[in-house]
Amino acid sequence: MTRWLLLRCLQAAVTLLLVAILLFCLMRLAPGDPLSRVSGEQQLTPGALAHLREQYGLDQPIARQLAIWLAGVVRGDLGASIEYGRPVTSLIAERLRASLLLGGTALLINFTLGLWLGAVQAVRRGTPVDRWLTAASLAGYATPSFWLGLVLAALVAVRWRLLPAAGMQNPLLASDAGPWVRGLDIADHLALPAATLVIVSIASTMRYQRRAMLEVLPLPYIVAARAKGLAESVVVRRHAWRNALFPVLSLAGLWLPILATGSVFVESVFAWPGLGSLAAGAVGTRDYPLLMGTALLVSSLIVLGGLLTDVAYGVLDPRIRWA
Amino acid sequence: MAPRIPRFAVGLGVCLWGVAAPLAAQTGDPDALVIVTGQQATMPVPTFMEGPQNLTANFDVADQLFLRLAELPPDLVTTDERRFVPVLAKSWSRRDSLTLVFDLDPRARWHDGQPVLARDVVFTFERARNAEIAPKLAGLLRHVVGVTAEGDRRVVFQFDRVYAEQFYDATYNVAPLPSHLVPRDATVANPPRGFVGAPVGDGPFRWVRSLPGQFVELAANPDFFLGKPKVDRLFFRTAADPEARVNLLLSGEADATDNIPAPPLANIERVSAAPGLRAVPLASPVLGYLLFNQRDRADRSKPHPILSDVNVRRAIALALDRRRMVESVFGRYAAVPYGPVSQLLWIRNGSPSAAGRDTVQARRLLAKAGWLGRNDEGILTRAGEPLVLTLGYPLTSEARKQMALQVQEQLRGVGIQIEVQRLDGPVWAQRRSRGDFDIDFSSATQDPTPSGLTQSWSCTGGTNVAGYCDPGVDSLLDWAIASPSGPAAGKVWQEVIRRIESDQPAVFLYAPAFVYAVSRRFGKAPLRPESSWLRVREWSR
Repeated sequence: MTRWLLLRCLQAAVTLLLVAILLFCLMRLAPGDPLSRVSGEQQLTPGALAHLREQYGLDQPIARQLAIWLAGVVRGDLGASIEYGRPVTSLIAERLRASLLLGGTALLINFTLGLWLGAVQAVRRGTPVDRWLTAASLAGYATPSFWLGLVLAALVAVRWRLLPAAGMQNPLLASDAGPWVRGLDIADHLALPAATLVIVSIASTMRYQRRAMLEVLPLPYIVAARAKGLAESVVVRRHAWRNALFPVLSLAGLWLPILATGSVFVESVFAWPGLGSLAAGAVGTRDYPLLMGTALLVSSLIVLGGLLTDVAYGVLDPRIRWA
Repeated sequence: MAPRIPRFAVGLGVCLWGVAAPLAAQTGDPDALVIVTGQQATMPVPTFMEGPQNLTANFDVADQLFLRLAELPPDLVTTDERRFVPVLAKSWSRRDSLTLVFDLDPRARWHDGQPVLARDVVFTFERARNAEIAPKLAGLLRHVVGVTAEGDRRVVFQFDRVYAEQFYDATYNVAPLPSHLVPRDATVANPPRGFVGAPVGDGPFRWVRSLPGQFVELAANPDFFLGKPKVDRLFFRTAADPEARVNLLLSGEADATDNIPAPPLANIERVSAAPGLRAVPLASPVLGYLLFNQRDRADRSKPHPILSDVNVRRAIALALDRRRMVESVFGRYAAVPYGPVSQLLWIRNGSPSAAGRDTVQARRLLAKAGWLGRNDEGILTRAGEPLVLTLGYPLTSEARKQMALQVQEQLRGVGIQIEVQRLDGPVWAQRRSRGDFDIDFSSATQDPTPSGLTQSWSCTGGTNVAGYCDPGVDSLLDWAIASPSGPAAGKVWQEVIRRIESDQPAVFLYAPAFVYAVSRRFGKAPLRPESSWLRVREWSR
């Protein structure tokens, strides 16, 4: 297993290097750069623009810019954002926390609720409960997240004033407020964006789980468990449900990058200071260092997600051999 | 039976929500002001707000932290130094027509307790006039040839020529920095992270903290020499999405915003209908116009095959019903400008109204330019070539999108085919700066000075991307700028505008107002068009 793991890590590192070089080149090939946008908006003179290009090192040949960036990456320095004027690593670290909080909460609720409801649907297949849950989850799935977010904000925050409309914390909170109050304040702000993400995404988890359960329930070992006289709840929970988790595991692997980048639309509608909106903004402004930093992070998470899923499969299913 | 979610988890969730939901209501601070904006200030420090940091959000915060020598008078006239409002400078005088002398207020202190001295002003202007450090400011201050200190509190400005806006140049563009805290050669690309992360100024508010992506917090400066602000805590809260900004206002989580974006007009209507809010329209520095390229896209040494003809340009202007377009997109919150003049510029006073639609005259002018035939689709032709032009704009602008479609439709009515190109912002900007366009849907944000018009509308203007050149306009611009007295300069400026309108290098489409939203709990809330929150120090309940 150690040899397999080392090989997979090496493969992952090479993949990441190639992705980084490719992204760097593609970004430079795309029309426009961070300062062409600025020159358009501010109507800078060519002389002023040339001075700025020099200050940011954008007048250097692309190969040299790439070499400088890669050398920085090796040292753990992703450069400074042109838009924010701060180190990219600090920006990502700050925003990653918010994204992980939102994505993690949504993922936790999605899987807890989704796996349970999917199992309920399978056990009560063809009943009104199954049909209603299918309809409700698919309606959520078909709803655009930004629209749902706007509706929830307009009703829950603006009309009923039950929860905050946007942001991650109340700026007016006293500076000496304790961690409990701060935690509740963040939970307060988290509720609507997390609910939006869960509503639009839970259908896939439910559908996966329902289908997996339906495949497992008629299998001989389930029949044998029932024949032994086990209670139906034990049969479903201990025997069927656990074995039906495998397909959903691959879904969890795919969720890892989404966990970090969140949903750009939901972050935008609720002014949630996450990584998704930061990355989307960097695309629009051609903030090369920030764009490369976030792209590298997402690539790493995709590679890591695949790796973790493979490992999890191996650990949970003894039939899978390390090769 | 399906697996169960533990009941205690459900109960815990409900309890948490029950405690958390009313929390926001308990944390209000009556002496705080929360302003919600679309961007967060990242480097609100004079001489560092260059290039990518030249953001309204940075200027908004910098206005609270740093004081200018003097502020513009209420009517924004930039040429009458007697009417400027003293701030950091207690008084000023002239030695001659090229020399201005400022005496600093001896009560002024930096937030670290050090006195504000003449050497701080000299230090800041040395940075601002250095193109290697502050390229944009250096261009704006090109006529300032020397700034020197005489003692601790007297600063002398020397200019290279006589012109009406010497005082404006010395006071508007730069607010002094503490020379003991800022490295001399630091630039926007390599800033002093400690200082820009927690700036020390001399203004009515001092820096408290910044939570990235969330808000910037400032606190009233109790020792401010012009009087402690009535607002104790000032927040600039960030919400990039306009809907989120409006929701924060309507839910009572923010007190003010500076520009409720229109279109759509629904947001302005929602704010106007809210009992706790006031919608306040105010002159904005924005000007939207269709810029005609007068040079060939492929070979800039040649004239544009269609748009170099003034008859075609005038025909396009006459074929458009600008008033109807502006009303349909901005409602009553914008005007059709006469010439390249936003609502912010004082020279707009006394201008005539823009010409209305006249399709008969437009067709006549097109015929005069040789566009006589028509193809199967009804498009005018000349020597078999159809009259087809591209119109490009950045995809982030909803106003320009809506107007571009109307332009396309209205020009089709006189036989001109417009191919609308909705472009990614950087792509649009790159094409624009290269002169790779027929008609560019431009939007300019103007400074209060009319001198800025030289950049776009003189033959050698640095941002004259369309290649417009009328030596007559250049002479008038030189004359207007060099006019030593305000009223005389005003008359020449009117002549400049008339001449540009006559040349029709562009169709000047809209000059919008910004609609501010302000909580009614603030009875006194002065707003300034040149800098939204400049007078927050005077806000009170």
